[in-house]
Amino acid sequence: MSTILEIKDLHKSFSDNPDGTEVLSSLDLEVEKNEFLCILGHSGCGKTTLLRCIAGFESFTGQVILNGSAVTSPSPDRIMVFQTFEQLFPWKTVFGNVDFPLKQTGHKDKAERKRVVEDALKKVRLSEYAHYYPHQLSGGMKQRVAIARALALKPKLILMDEPFAALDAMTRRELQNELLLLSQTEDCTILFVTHNIQEAIILGTRNIVLHKGGKIVYDKRNDMEKPISPSSEGFGRIWQEMRDAIYME
Amino acid sequence: MNRSQSGKNGFVYKLSVRIVFTLVVLGIWEYVARARLLGPRSELIFPSLESIGAAFVRNFVKGYAHLSLWNYIGNSMKLLLAGLFIGIALAFVFSGLSTVSRTFSVIYNYVVSVCDLLPGVALLPVVIVIFGVKSGVIVFLVVHAVIWPMSRNIMDGFMAVPMIYVEAGRNIGLKGASLLFKVYLPASTAYIVSGLKVGWARAWRGLISAEMIFGIASCPGIGLFINQMRTNMNNAEMYATLIVIIIIGVIVQYGILSPIEKNTVKKWGMSR
Ligand SMILES: Nc1ncnc2c1ncn2[C@@H]1O[C@H](COP(=O)(O)OP(=O)(O)OP(=O)(O)O)[C@@H](O)[C@H]1O
Ligand SMILES: [Mg+2]
Repeated sequence: MSTILEIKDLHKSFSDNPDGTEVLSSLDLEVEKNEFLCILGHSGCGKTTLLRCIAGFESFTGQVILNGSAVTSPSPDRIMVFQTFEQLFPWKTVFGNVDFPLKQTGHKDKAERKRVVEDALKKVRLSEYAHYYPHQLSGGMKQRVAIARALALKPKLILMDEPFAALDAMTRRELQNELLLLSQTEDCTILFVTHNIQEAIILGTRNIVLHKGGKIVYDKRNDMEKPISPSSEGFGRIWQEMRDAIYME
Repeated sequence: MNRSQSGKNGFVYKLSVRIVFTLVVLGIWEYVARARLLGPRSELIFPSLESIGAAFVRNFVKGYAHLSLWNYIGNSMKLLLAGLFIGIALAFVFSGLSTVSRTFSVIYNYVVSVCDLLPGVALLPVVIVIFGVKSGVIVFLVVHAVIWPMSRNIMDGFMAVPMIYVEAGRNIGLKGASLLFKVYLPASTAYIVSGLKVGWARAWRGLISAEMIFGIASCPGIGLFINQMRTNMNNAEMYATLIVIIIIGVIVQYGILSPIEKNTVKKWGMSR
């Protein structure tokens, strides 16, 4: 396995933050290729900020190195999947939402693009909805499109910021299963922020817990054999470890 | 029964109410005309429906000064389209520039706010002094009518574009002009469409008023036509021309503006 992402001495503070404290102070992290890294931590500990720095949406000091080159601005090699259902372009159909980014990133051959889009939609089970507009979809379907859009681009990293947090429990479980399957079959590296310990254990091949200031207080590989359920052997132990890490003073 | 919820029935209901109402108004009109209720001036104020109908046909066949009403309509439309085109294009250019330069944005916002308050017709004397009585004056007024509300809406629309679309766009490598055209523009379609509606309404009113106040011999339009009908006491023709003006308004509303709305913001679930 090789390192795909390397974060060295990352500092981030917001200029309009009144007390001037750093949201992330001296964060170091390495991510292996094809890893599914789940990031947990209390609200406000800097999970979103970390993803946004990696995505290139925020300025920061320190280094974020992707495949050997430093990250400075957003790029299609790091695709964000947001929590909000409103991340699709409402003026494009489901097909268009997946096709447009491909077209913008230099995929000139229309027939080839069509094949890629149809393939991506099939992976998230939305082939039948290709001609729908986002406002005609449910929240879960919209998140599936966002995932298909990311997969189709074959980015080096997919950065997911609580993509399932706003879904009902059943849909959430459904999408978790789909994402798990995709993460095992696709050649992709995923950073996945969540508040849900169970979700992290089910999906992640590695879990980390952040504390205020972006301090990593827990960082362990998750080698349990997938698919994992709460009744899997060892689940309770990991769950307890992570919970303790989150609530540790 | 809740009529607003009964879809097609609601439509049939509304349509029949309108038809009945129109027939009643026409009936009263015809009665007043036939009974000459207003005495000797009755025929001027309430020409019979028959004579208005005949005048309608006469407007197109005979017209005025050897020109059919078609020619007047054509002239008006020519000036209107030129003005709309220039006004809308300028609105896009200036609003686009104001996303690039902060100073330009401050100045342009200020200019738009001030000019938007100025009724075009009030500018007429000034414009005539500058340009003389030429058809360019009418184009100028149409541009004035459309450019400010259009700019206001485009700029408001750009401001209101949700950050998430912008970030999704930047994420796939869009920036500068490509971000403007591929994200900001479609994302503010609702604002642009409502700017079009306001712009059209003002331009159409402004055009007719300007033509009525001073007709341009080299390019006589509908406003001039209706004014001539009044001076010549051809009142039936006058009413017939009003009907033509209404018909043009209906065609633009239901033939152009509504379809644009239906095929963009309505289709995308984005209407405000
Ligand atoms: N644009 C901003 N300007 C100023 N402060 C910000 C900004 N964005 C985030 N912060 C601050 O940075 C800190 C971390 O925020 P962040 O959104 O990264 O937290 P999070 O871990 O994602 O929380 P949650 O689990 O609630 O999503 C918070 O204290 C927040 O107030
Ligand atoms: Mg967050």
